[in-house]
Amino acid sequence: MINLKSISKAFEHRSVLKNVNLAVAAGESVFVCGINGVGKSTLLRIAAGLLAPDAGAVEICGRDMAKDPEKAKPRLGLISHKSMVYTDLTVLENLMFFGRLYGLADPRRRAEQMLDDLGLGAYRFDRAAILSRGMMQRLAIARALIHKPAVLLADEPFTGLDSKASAHLAAVLEGFGDTDHAVLMTTHDAAVGVRCCRRVIVLHQGGIVFDAPTEGIDAIAFSTDYVAYSGGAS
Amino acid sequence: MRYFLTSLRAVFMKDIVTELRARQVLPTMVVLGMLIVWVLRIACETAAGSTAIIGPVAFWIAFLFAGLLAQERSFATEEQNDCMDGLLLAPIDAGTIYLAKLLVNIVMLCIFEIIIVPVVIIAFGLRIGGHWPSLIGVLLLGNIAISSVGTLFSAIVQLCRTRGSLLSILVLVVLAPVMVPATFALLLKFGAIPAELAGTGALAFVGTFKTAVGYMVVFDAVFVTASWLLFGFAIKE
Repeated sequence: MINLKSISKAFEHRSVLKNVNLAVAAGESVFVCGINGVGKSTLLRIAAGLLAPDAGAVEICGRDMAKDPEKAKPRLGLISHKSMVYTDLTVLENLMFFGRLYGLADPRRRAEQMLDDLGLGAYRFDRAAILSRGMMQRLAIARALIHKPAVLLADEPFTGLDSKASAHLAAVLEGFGDTDHAVLMTTHDAAVGVRCCRRVIVLHQGGIVFDAPTEGIDAIAFSTDYVAYSGGAS
Repeated sequence: MRYFLTSLRAVFMKDIVTELRARQVLPTMVVLGMLIVWVLRIACETAAGSTAIIGPVAFWIAFLFAGLLAQERSFATEEQNDCMDGLLLAPIDAGTIYLAKLLVNIVMLCIFEIIIVPVVIIAFGLRIGGHWPSLIGVLLLGNIAISSVGTLFSAIVQLCRTRGSLLSILVLVVLAPVMVPATFALLLKFGAIPAELAGTGALAFVGTFKTAVGYMVVFDAVFVTASWLLFGFAIKE
């Protein structure tokens, strides 16, 4: 579903990604980890089509992101630590706006359904500005999933969330990674990443140095090793 | 075509609703416009008979600077919460985003003009007579010129850190060629320049009222088309 082919990216002569190849199949959820500045967010932004790679190609469900963005973009959704919602619009208006951008036939109906599913129904006519961080992240999830994407990219989605909101988001991510969908996620919390995903890759010095299923990996031990490896700051 | 219109309308309505709720741009534009008109009117008191010259000029000074205020805001809402990423994730064409933002800026400047034009006419005692259609036409052409250039550069400058001052410099420099015929057209309409002087001396290149309007039409057509085509490059990281 996600196919990153020979991706390279440099910022002002500093090479961040060097010939990275990554394929994520339907039903897979992949946790990307690595130390700060290793290129995790860059990789996700390239996969989302927000950043053009210096070399290589991105395919989402077989559609080339550079050559056929109109077909590739509707197949993916992105959650990040920023909500990408308009604080002066109401919760419902935000979702209807994005629904229209994705060409939904009945954006209001779909938006109402998403709000009910995510427990935001009571806030539908409130401005997004009044939402708490946890509620805002639920709205961000609704925004990312309004068009029923096949691929979900999540870039540090747990940042700033309390334990309840984190658990809710983890449940959403786990529920999304079924046989028809794929997830590519980064988080600074290695234990959460291992628990939420079925495969883990480690980025180091521009390339993938570790790639294994999370089954059988002890999340706590992995997290401890990871913190030690990254010098205490991921 | 249907998706183009739906997405254009969605972005346009979103920006209009956002501005109506936030009320950040229009009140500031009106206050700035009033201040400019008031200062220029005071200046006219020092030289008898100068109102016919300064009055038409006051239109463009007020529109230019008030327009800059509106355009600077047009991408500020997209920067908050990384909303620009949300827009770019959707399959919407970058040119459609530009056209929607351009329409919003044109509407904002039109509302501003509806408020400021009567103020300028009264303050400077300008006589419009039967020239209303041509006055509205020239103002609308100037509005499109200011908005088309301002919207494009607002997006480009959004990626820079020195945005405010840089936007003013870029827009004013690019708009200079269209401001000459725009000012000339109004001076001619309000009788500040005798018709027999049109097309002579320093005014030779703008020629008559019709050629001045022609320059404005060409400028608008070129800049709207070029900006629409270039917008995708302007907003790419």
